[in-house]
Amino acid sequence: MSDAAIDIAQATKQFGPTVAVNQVSLQVSRGACYGLIGPNGAGKTTLFSLLCGYLRPTRGTVRILGQDPRSPGAIKGKLGVLPQDAAFPASITVGALLTYWARLSGLAPAERHAREAVERVALVEAWNVEARALSHGMAKRIAMAQALMGNPPVVLLDEPTAGLDPRIAAHVRQLIREMKGTQTVVVSSHNLHELEELCDGAAILDRGRLMQAGSMAELTARAEEFRVEIARGEVPLDAIRALQGCTQAAFAGGQLAVSFDGRQVPPEEMITRTLEALIRAGVKVLGVSRGRKLEERVLQLT
Amino acid sequence: MEGIREIATIWSAELRRAVRSPRVIILLGLYGLFSALALFLVGWITSRVSAAAAEQLNAQSAPEGALDQAAANAKQALLSGLFDKDASLLEALSKLPLVIPVVFKITLFFLPAYVAFLGFDQLSGEIEPKSIRYLAIRARRSSILVGKFLAQATVVVGMILVIDAVIFAYARLISPDFAFGLLAPSLLRFWIAAAVFSVAYVALTTLCSALFALPAVSLIVNFFALFVFWVIQAVGSYLQDAAAMQAAAAGEEPSRPVLALVRFLSPSAYSTDLLHPEWARFGIGIGAYAAFSAAFLVLGWAILRARDV
Repeated sequence: MSDAAIDIAQATKQFGPTVAVNQVSLQVSRGACYGLIGPNGAGKTTLFSLLCGYLRPTRGTVRILGQDPRSPGAIKGKLGVLPQDAAFPASITVGALLTYWARLSGLAPAERHAREAVERVALVEAWNVEARALSHGMAKRIAMAQALMGNPPVVLLDEPTAGLDPRIAAHVRQLIREMKGTQTVVVSSHNLHELEELCDGAAILDRGRLMQAGSMAELTARAEEFRVEIARGEVPLDAIRALQGCTQAAFAGGQLAVSFDGRQVPPEEMITRTLEALIRAGVKVLGVSRGRKLEERVLQLT
Repeated sequence: MEGIREIATIWSAELRRAVRSPRVIILLGLYGLFSALALFLVGWITSRVSAAAAEQLNAQSAPEGALDQAAANAKQALLSGLFDKDASLLEALSKLPLVIPVVFKITLFFLPAYVAFLGFDQLSGEIEPKSIRYLAIRARRSSILVGKFLAQATVVVGMILVIDAVIFAYARLISPDFAFGLLAPSLLRFWIAAAVFSVAYVALTTLCSALFALPAVSLIVNFFALFVFWVIQAVGSYLQDAAAMQAAAAGEEPSRPVLALVRFLSPSAYSTDLLHPEWARFGIGIGAYAAFSAAFLVLGWAILRARDV
């Protein structure tokens, strides 16, 4: 069995002349938390829909735990999905709806699974509320609850914290953290700080194309770059550039950015030497951060 | 086995939703009212016509039994116009109070339209707001289609049973000589006929609902399909009747024009067979509607399976 929970090979999805996803190939390891990043119209939701089997790829293949998600019954019980814009059916209470879905997923006893799911999203009071009467935030959490029901091995969350207040968003992030390692989680979000914090790896999409995919360390160049926030003093750029392994050093906007060859010098060694050079030159330092922000990388690529 | 379990789960959930849905309840009420109105109107008209005929025959000092003969002739003429000129069918139908076959025929004519109103959004109503996505990861698309179809069919068949029971009860009320020994099997026969007929149209509605993401478009296409079937049936019947009249005028054996066979492409062409006393004709009717139902469902399944949701 492949180690990849998700395997996308040369997937393309066209809607008439519009190419929403263009020859994307991607693998997500089992137990990983993976981010899908990109501006609006990048193809994130389309890629999600291909993974769920909602859409048929125009070309290429998509596999979830080795199965074609469009094959009848293939992903039943294996996939939990929080779709971005799917409405709840009318004339049914949250409790009845979740119990129905649990029964359909083959979870027994269905009601217990449904109750556990609403407890996980801290929304027990919504049990008897009509699903269509829920506020945006409550509906999002109930949609999250149905995705988590039965602890499926793969969970796809499309914009899980969009429109939630900070407290609830933090709770949702905590739920995602709890799944890491035991379930494969793919999260699509515009909140890059959130993805940087949660995910082991990510794929950056733009206009349907995969711009870059890799571990979070690779994307943020944590092993090859660091920044030093300078309070005051004259930065000895020549001395820093002369350090062994340093490939580039630049100072702008109160920030010193240093790139280095991570294979030649370990990051801790490079950071220490740079700080020593700064302190020797009488420079006052406010802080050090490894790598560049994910946001910068995304802005660079899209 | 898993597929059957999914179908049963969807069927029971959809059925619960349907019986609680205000739209379904309103439509049930309206169709019940329409049937009751047809029932009372037909009952009133037949009683008035009978009374007028009796009065006229009495005034003419007609011989004994003339009234019954005139009533029987009028009944045969009406039934042959409504159903078929088949002698054994007319004989079987004429044993029943006139109100039964007449009201049955009227309600059957409007049943496909009612079925379309009831179920046009069974799938498209879930595709448009994407709520079908919650189902699609939990159940096979074939199970979703069949489960929803069965729930709609259950509602319609149940409603037909109630309406048929009311028609027969009313007929018993106005015709005390309508014996229970004839009433019970006739009720069963009429219910089966209407149920089989309606199930084919529920399947057509399911197909139209699977075709489009917009419920309004599903409804329009459903009505268009009903209209096309009606035209096919009307044109085929007209050609057949015209050929028969020409043959009768020429004193020849009636011919069967090939174009008239087109009416057999319409489900309604077999509705009379469902009431036929001969088992063979009844079987043809059942088989034809089963084939239409299966064809609509298979087509609906193929579309739902291939389409993006």
